[in-house]
Order: sequence, then structure tokens, then C-alpha cells
Amino acid sequence: MLRPIIARRKLLAFALLAFFLFYWIPFSHVFPGWGPFPLQFGSYRVFQATTIAMWAIVALGLNLLTGYNGQISLGHGAFVAVGGYTAAILMFDHGWPFWATIPVAGFMTGTVGFLVGVPALRLTGPYLAIATLALAISTPQILLKYEGLTHGSQGINVNSPPPPAVLDGVLNQTQWLYFLALVIAIIMTIIAWNIVRSRVGRAFVAIRDSEIAAQAMGISVPRFKTMAFAISAFFAGVCGAVYVQVIGFVSPRSFDVLQSINYLTTVVVGGLASILGSILGAAAFVLVPEINGLLDQLHLPAANQAPGVIYGASLILVMILMPYGLAGFIHRLTRLQPPLVRQSLIDFAQQIGLRVRTARSAPDRGSGAAPTPPKDVRTPRPPDGDKGSSSS
Amino acid sequence: MELFLQQVMTGLATGSVYGLVALAIVLIYRSTDVINFAQGEMAMFTTFFAWMLIDGSFLGFHIHPLHFWIAFALTLVFAATMGALLERIVIRPVEGRPILTIVIVTLGLFSIFNNLATWSWGGIPKAFPAPPEIHVTGITFFGDGALDIGPTVISYHDLTIMVVAVGIMLALYVFFQYTPIGLAMRGTAQNPVAARLMGIHVGNILTLGWALSALVGAVGGMMIAPLVLLQPPMMMGVLLYAFAAAVLGGMDSPPGAVVGGLTLGIVENLVGTYTTEEYLHVDWFGPEMKLTAALVVIVLVLLIRPTGLFGRRALRRV
Repeated sequence: MLRPIIARRKLLAFALLAFFLFYWIPFSHVFPGWGPFPLQFGSYRVFQATTIAMWAIVALGLNLLTGYNGQISLGHGAFVAVGGYTAAILMFDHGWPFWATIPVAGFMTGTVGFLVGVPALRLTGPYLAIATLALAISTPQILLKYEGLTHGSQGINVNSPPPPAVLDGVLNQTQWLYFLALVIAIIMTIIAWNIVRSRVGRAFVAIRDSEIAAQAMGISVPRFKTMAFAISAFFAGVCGAVYVQVIGFVSPRSFDVLQSINYLTTVVVGGLASILGSILGAAAFVLVPEINGLLDQLHLPAANQAPGVIYGASLILVMILMPYGLAGFIHRLTRLQPPLVRQSLIDFAQQIGLRVRTARSAPDRGSGAAPTPPKDVRTPRPPDGDKGSSSS
Repeated sequence: MELFLQQVMTGLATGSVYGLVALAIVLIYRSTDVINFAQGEMAMFTTFFAWMLIDGSFLGFHIHPLHFWIAFALTLVFAATMGALLERIVIRPVEGRPILTIVIVTLGLFSIFNNLATWSWGGIPKAFPAPPEIHVTGITFFGDGALDIGPTVISYHDLTIMVVAVGIMLALYVFFQYTPIGLAMRGTAQNPVAARLMGIHVGNILTLGWALSALVGAVGGMMIAPLVLLQPPMMMGVLLYAFAAAVLGGMDSPPGAVVGGLTLGIVENLVGTYTTEEYLHVDWFGPEMKLTAALVVIVLVLLIRPTGLFGRRALRRV
């Protein structure tokens, strides 16, 4: 009896999510019927959602490396740059179609990541962080220097791919790029999800928790640590290739040091060792500047002149209030079932005549106003089997 | 040869500043394992404070312009207070959390200081005065001009930087080795639990560590400001070099930070000088890649000694 309920709920959640991602975000502003609804997404919002999808890809990769495998990287901007430049050069100088560049950029960057991962084996903690930071700092200089390949400081202009002929008239450019980024982000999420739940992912976590114990269990530490770097770089490379399609331009300035630091911030704020966290972190990173707009409407002075103050303060607040990031916070919220709140909600629902399927029949709350539920109501356990909250 | 010595001298001067900021980073790292990304911005902020005192426009009020060294001393007090307050208000709530969490908090501080400075003082670079002349028994210290030391000359400002850096390092050495508080700080860095059992107030020691670190950073900021012009992003490059210097020397070794800073300063200058077309006849490398070259050197050193030149290898208990 329990199974179908959960499955139905999950199905409903997925259906809602799919509706939101595939219909509401891209189309709500062009369909006239949605006029009165408050939550509409103009084409700027669609672009923002595209950005979130791109950030999510690289955050997923970095989370595999830092969150699951425990290796800090402050150099992911370099990997994104490799992916971006691979795609841009293939498209601009060699006339490749856009879709072919994405996997090639991914594998190219993965190889680079592997090569970086080998020396990284000897380093831990701050030493690894600074060594990878060195990679991020050097990248723009190297890109500027070898201009025969990279076109130097003027960068490379690439035409964003137009919607395919089949979808002509259905999707405009912005929507098409959104779908492109979204679908790739979903594919990468599924890949990350599967890696995490596989033998490889468990090896990553075991190495993070104790290298010696992992070795004792027969895990080849060097093999999996370099593999983590390669996989993580693969994600970053794919992100770089998508970046080129969406922005249509790469230059050495696109990949400065702050970018790399921001990737790490995104992952930590979202939640280390969490797939959901990577996505939430990406969303938060893109959407936090919106707070400034809100504050600006309230005529608070700091909003316009010093947006970074708001950004910095929100970083600190999130870290103080949510030690395990946004994902950890949501996880705690879902486990939080204050019986009183829940019970009063049920009482209220029953008073207004809704039939509520509850874990326990509503007890008499003194007032006697709440009618006892009919006998035939099924009473399953709470789905998560949390014994602490179902004891009342 | 003259050019070589000249570049070494300049390298020593900039290297001293890298060393100072690296020292500030190491002071925090070895007691709390936290890399403070806000170190450079804190130094920049305090340097702006000093500039206000010297310039005579304090937060929009007109005050009597102060002499350089008086402003210097007041700024040190301000920096120490700021460091202590930051530890108490911002870092204390996340104490004991995962290291990365705290690192992100310092990144938040980085953003706040950078933007507050831009907001308050604007992005236009300001000239920060070099320390003025002092006459001691007929010999002129500091000020403009340069000192002739045989085959080469060294500008008084470079000399000031070196003297101040050496002075700070000696003072810190004496403080750590010969004072009870210094002993308590070393004890806390090594083993906080044991230190607490010995009756040391670990919380206060951590606050003091941040205060000291902010103070050392402020000195670095005021020394480099005349060279790079006072502006909000001025410490960005210095901070990266300081990180590299700290790592090169070993994150838990204060002397290592100094040696790392000096080495980095010299390497940077020499690479910048001797890789021009004139000396190096290749087109795949040039002086614009001196930062990359310095970083390659560091990574190579790390590959041979993974905990830096002077860092201790952490023993792992299974």
C-alpha cells in the first residue's frame, strides 16, 4: 500500500518539474493565456535559466571532485576555458557543426584534467588549492600568448546555432539555446547521479573519508583520484562548449580567476557531495544579484552602488545558517515534521471540509471541533519511516 | 651584472611585501587551518583608512592631516581592532565547521570589503605617499632618492619596505618565542584541546591571531600602496603572490612565508627581465608570462616537496 503512494507522489513531482522546466520557463511569456498569472518568464529570464543550466553542469563536475572525492580545485575556470576554446576553434576555424564539438570538447578537457590530476596526486588541502589556482591564473596569460591558435585578445566570435528547421517557428533563438543547455544539463545530471551511485562513486567517497582505509579495501587511490579529476574536467569541458553556443563568444577575459573561485563558491553554497546541491548552488549564484533589484525598489542605498556587499553578506549568512549548504538545509526541512504544526494543518484542512489522509487519526484537541475521520481512511506510516515524529 | 643586482634588489623589495601578506595568511592558517581569502582586501581597506588620515578627509569630514608615521600607528590599531571584531562576529559562528565553509565566509568578506571600498572611495586610483624622510645623525632615511651601494642603487622606498618587513618579522619572532602569549599561541596552533586543558583561553587566542594577522597585512598594504597606487583592486595580484609564497614556504611556517615571498619576488623580476627578445630568442615565451613562470616554479617545488620548503609533513594516525 505504501509503495504506490510514494511512486505517485514522485511521479507528480517529476511531472510538475518537467512542466516547469520544459513549458513554463520557455513559453509562459509567449502564450497569451498566461497573462493574468503572476509568474511569467520573459526572454531575459529564459536566458537566466540557460545560465543556471550551464553553471549546474560545471558545478556537478566540481562537486564530484571536491564534494565526493575531497580534492579542492580552484582551477575549474581553466577547464571550462579548454572546453570553450576547443569548441570555438573547431567551429570557427574548422567549420564543425555545433553538436559535434560538445562531446569532443568534453573528452579533450577530460584528457587535460587527467594530466592535471596526475601531479595533483601528491598534493592535498591548501597546496592543491593553490596549485589549481595557479592553473586558473595562468590560463588567460597562456591564451593571450599563443594567439596563433586562440586568436589572442580579440577572442573568437561564433554564431550561436539557430533552431533547427523542424522547429522553425516553434522556438526562437533564446528558447532553442535554453532547451539545448537544459537537455545537456539533464543528461549530465543523470551521468553524475549514476557515477555517484556506482562503484566508482563509492570509491570516491571512501577515498575522501580515509585514503588509508580505502586502500585497505582494495581501492586504487591514484587511479580513482585521477579519474575524479578527468571526470570533473569532462563536465567542465562540456560546460565550456555549451557556453560558446549560448554566448557565441570566447576571449581570455571570459575565464579569469574570480570565475574559478565562483565555481567553488557555488558548490559549497549549494551543498558539498550533493547532486541537488550543485543545481541549487547554480540557481542561487545566478539569482542572488536579483536581491539587489528588490532592495533597489525599496530605495535602500547599498543596492545600486555596492552589489558585492549584498552578495558577500548573503554568502556569509548562508554559511552561518546552513552549514551544509542549500541542499543540506532542504534535507533538514524535509525531515522536520513538527507534530503540532502538522496536526494543526490537518485540523484546519478537515474543518474546511477536505478529506485528509493522515498518519494518525486526528486526536481530540479539546475543542472537539475536528470531526473524527471516517473509519475507512487508510493509515500508512509516514513515508520516510521517521520514528521520532510518528510517536505522538 | 648591474642589471642583475638591480633586479634582485627590486625583487627583494616587492618580495618583502609578498612575504608580509603571506605571513598574515600563515598566521591564520596555522592556528585554524583556514585560508583567508579576505586578507588582501582587509589590507587594502586599512590602507584606505591610513590614506584618509594622511589626506585629511576622514569619512567626508575635514580633519587635520596627520603625519605619515602617526597615521601608520593609528592604522595598525584600527587594523588589529578590525581583525579581532571580524573573528568575533563573522568567523566565530562558523568555528568548527568544515574548512571549506569557513573559506567561503572569507570569500564573502572579500566581496564585502572590495565593494565597500569602491563605494566609499571610488575606483579612481589615489596616490599614497611614500614614508617621508627621517634624518638620524646626518644620514637620511626614507624619502625620495636612492642609496648607492657599490655596483647598484636601491631606492629609499624599497629600502623602507625591506627594513619594515624585517622589523615586523623580528618582532613577531620575539613575540612568538619569548612572550607567554606567544607561547600560548604556538600551543593553540599545535593542539587546541591540549592548550585549553593547560588553561589557555583558546577563543581569545584565535581573536588575537586574527588581530595580528590583520595588522601584519595592513603594514604590507601601506608599504605596497605607493608602488601600485591606492585603489580597490590593488591587493588582488599581491594576494595571489602571497598565497603562492605561503605555499612555497610551507603553509604552517612563518619563516617559510618570508623566504617564499622573497624567492617569488626575485624570480618574478628576473624572469620578467631576462625573457625579453633581447635575451631569449624564442617566440613561445616572453616577459608577459612571468606570472605563469613563477607559478610553474612553485608547482615544480611542490611536486618535489608537497608541503612546501619549510612545511612539516602532517603525520596521519590510522
